[in-house]
Amino acid sequence: MRHVRFVIVALIAAWLPTSLAASSELRPFDAASAGAIASAHAGRPYVVAFWSIHCAPCLEDMKDWRALAQKFPDVPIILVTTDPPSERAKVRSVLARYQLDQAENWAFADEFVERVRFAVDKGWRGELPRTYYYDARHRVDVRSGRVDHRVVDAWFARQSK
Amino acid sequence: MEGYRGRWAALAAALLLALGGVGSALAQSAHGHDHKAMGGAGKMARAGLAASAAFDDRGRLWAVSVAGEYVEVRSSTDFGATWSSPVKVNPVAEPVEADGDSRPRIAVGTGGEIYVTWTKPLAKPFTGEIRFSRSVDGGKTFSTPRPVHADRQVITHRFDSMTITRDGRVLVAWVDKRDLVAAGGKAADYAGAAIYYAVSDDRGASFRGDFKAADNSCECCRIALVPQPDGNVLALWRHVFPGSVRDHALATLGVDGKVTGMRRATWDGWTIDACPHHGPSLAADGQGRLHAVWFSDARQKSGVFYGRLEADRVVGERRVGGATAEHADLAVSGQRVAIAWKEFDGRNSQLRALVSNDGGATFSERELAATADASDQPRLLSYDGKFYVFWNTRREPLRVVSLP
Repeated sequence: MRHVRFVIVALIAAWLPTSLAASSELRPFDAASAGAIASAHAGRPYVVAFWSIHCAPCLEDMKDWRALAQKFPDVPIILVTTDPPSERAKVRSVLARYQLDQAENWAFADEFVERVRFAVDKGWRGELPRTYYYDARHRVDVRSGRVDHRVVDAWFARQSK
Repeated sequence: MEGYRGRWAALAAALLLALGGVGSALAQSAHGHDHKAMGGAGKMARAGLAASAAFDDRGRLWAVSVAGEYVEVRSSTDFGATWSSPVKVNPVAEPVEADGDSRPRIAVGTGGEIYVTWTKPLAKPFTGEIRFSRSVDGGKTFSTPRPVHADRQVITHRFDSMTITRDGRVLVAWVDKRDLVAAGGKAADYAGAAIYYAVSDDRGASFRGDFKAADNSCECCRIALVPQPDGNVLALWRHVFPGSVRDHALATLGVDGKVTGMRRATWDGWTIDACPHHGPSLAADGQGRLHAVWFSDARQKSGVFYGRLEADRVVGERRVGGATAEHADLAVSGQRVAIAWKEFDGRNSQLRALVSNDGGATFSERELAATADASDQPRLLSYDGKFYVFWNTRREPLRVVSLP
């Protein structure tokens, strides 16, 4: 009996963390969201990184975001996946795998993606990874492609002072 | 008491586990439902819009699109005003890539055969299998889908393109990561992916290959294919040149498996490690001149461009559309060149076109249509000397706009 109870408790213990990870929030990102994020960070620097589970360089960046988030906790890194709602489960599992499920996560929630991208930046044609680095005055440095540590680390260090 | 608590714990555990099971089952069914609910409730909870179309030699237009886990073919005898009911290509449901530059393809053979390809994503991320099916009874029934490539590794075989050669062979090209995998899988050891292709000499009954067209292609852009008068096929794709410069390369894919004349085709200098999902389009005119449209986001040169590809330079280059122009396609008929693209103006996605009557020397721009909802990339087609733009939009599915 004790044996059975131990197994049961172990089963529950094994089940709980995955259930908690699965419940990490993915806020719906639409044409109003970029503005809302800017307002929420008024007077403070922040980074918005757009990514997709189908983008290999994006996944290679995940470790970098985790490391930068740990090194510069006062500069929020906001992750926005461009994947559609049908892929939420895969998105959550990728975020959990890279221990980014507790970061501020958003997910595209409007099929009319041109409208969403336009609200973020008229010049963004959908290529990924796409990252916006906003300083405290919300002057933006826009970069497509993988995290370039030669520039990005220095940027974080400047904002963090 | 001890027994009671034991039973209670067992019951609670069973309940929790069952709930977990139900939870994932719900997620599964929601996933399936999302895809099937074409035109149903909820933004984005609908089938992907990625579609392709091709004319047969009698002017019947054939379209392939995706509904949930099925590839569907429809035809129209009135240039898209009305469409036949859909015929399912795959009898058994399977996932189908229908996003960005990844889309099902359709081509009509010299004997009226309807050929269809698509990418079936496999279990691991970025992996896929290129599937092929054909109809030899005028689109009434389709053959059991099967892979085009001989390679059976669970790796990237994606971004299929298909064309029919001058003598009726079927050539399918795709993006393939077998060489990256063989090199150890690290981008530092092998840049990008590769382009592979296979050829069918028997109207799609069988394929031979896999022939390598080139190492170091971009990983997620469509490939442009143009049949040549000599029976071979010209391919234009986004390449990874040294330094991660993602401009375009051109080569002739021989139906004998030999690849010749590979060369650089564009010189924008777009240096990036990213998934652009912006592949080029290519067409040849009667004199063999190559007309192309492509996208670049190089710092000094961002946007959609048109130009004619010569041996070591681009001639007659011009910008296509405004700041938000994207996903251009083009077609050529004699001396006439037509380019179509979409452009978002803050409210609507506009479908616009450039038309040249003098081989691309001068163009005039036209507004063709607009939509205030989601839309696919436009496809430019020509039939009997006239141009048509095929544009799958959420509000008007499988829309066809003729160019004046």
